[in-house]
Amino acid sequence: MVDTNLTDFIIDAKNLTKRYGKSVAVDNISFQIPAGRIVGLIGPNGSGKTTTLKAMLGLVPFEGELKVLGLDPRTQRDELMKQVSFIADVAVLPRWIRVREAIDFVAGVHPKFDRAKAERYIQNTKLKPAMKVKEMSKGMIVQLHLALVMAIDAKLLVLDEPTLGLDILYRKQFYQNLLEDYFDENKTIIVTTHQVEEIEHILSDLMFIREGKITLSASMDEIAERFIEVMVSADNLAAALALKPIDERQVFGKSVMLFDTATSNSSADAVKALGEARAPGIADLFVATMRGTYA
Amino acid sequence: MNADWHDNTPIYRQLKARVVEMMLDGLLKPGDALPSVRQIAADFQLNPITVSRAYQELADEQLVEKKRGLGMYMTDGASEKLLDSERTRFLNEEWPAVLERLDRLGLNASDLLLAAETGVKNG
Repeated sequence: MVDTNLTDFIIDAKNLTKRYGKSVAVDNISFQIPAGRIVGLIGPNGSGKTTTLKAMLGLVPFEGELKVLGLDPRTQRDELMKQVSFIADVAVLPRWIRVREAIDFVAGVHPKFDRAKAERYIQNTKLKPAMKVKEMSKGMIVQLHLALVMAIDAKLLVLDEPTLGLDILYRKQFYQNLLEDYFDENKTIIVTTHQVEEIEHILSDLMFIREGKITLSASMDEIAERFIEVMVSADNLAAALALKPIDERQVFGKSVMLFDTATSNSSADAVKALGEARAPGIADLFVATMRGTYA
Repeated sequence: MNADWHDNTPIYRQLKARVVEMMLDGLLKPGDALPSVRQIAADFQLNPITVSRAYQELADEQLVEKKRGLGMYMTDGASEKLLDSERTRFLNEEWPAVLERLDRLGLNASDLLLAAETGVKNG
């Protein structure tokens, strides 16, 4: 079906800035996110990730231009909230609420909530309709959250550290459910997390943010093409250093170097000739780009 | 389901290679349905685009076909195509290396036939 929405991008930010007093949390950033993407927003604590998400959701005032689903979060928040879901801190569910009351509540306030879908999802968990939030483990609270959020037919899902504090089984289950029951090519997910490794194959795009600025924004395909990690043998060391790697670490006495073929004067072929080449993991790329000398 | 991907090859290629392997091993047979893109994406925690790309390449090579509204199926000719390409690969890549080794060892065709026959007798 053709989407009749006139906007080309799910999110379109131009010179987005957010100041808290004298400090600048988000510093004049611009980016666009089309539909059907899963975007990872990665940055250290205090880099402006959450502030950027809050601006998208109309939770904080900001300067610059920002359209989410074609709407201005500052003035059209009510309309926007019908099409956007959000999971942030799992503690926002009141401790006294029961599973069935939470479902009743969302069914009452959200026009796009599919009650049957939420109940179906809950049946596959250990949650019971009469259970109160205060009786649940952290993992169960997230499952309740997920059941409520996935049953809303929202075009945009914003996840701010959704799996923080969860054990590995729940974390895996979380993303599995999202891919199985929520995501499709008409939907868009934006996720921030410190657990980069567990989402790196799910993402279609990556944005690194540091001190309020975007330091890298690219699709995973572009990243795989642009960044190359090479295990350099001792006799190629001088030649490798001449190609200006952006990062270097030692593994079993060999140098593993990371090259950015877009900025250094090294072609992909020259880099690959140095030794065994492979695509870097997001975590290594993140560490290298956050080190300061390179941005 | 669990998958260990390595970083030397794009994941869609690795996924494609797995499906091909399943076909060669007979775990998938002509006419069998492949799991949906959504299912694979969820089980292996991959972006659906990655899965679609693997399926698209398999379809381009006519190893699978899309049936409207039903999903992807292994084609009737897939086994033969795979066997063909495996034969070609053997003749182009493995055989020259074997020949070279035979040459270095000074073995000729009758030595090999004789060895094969005794092998059969002993086996």
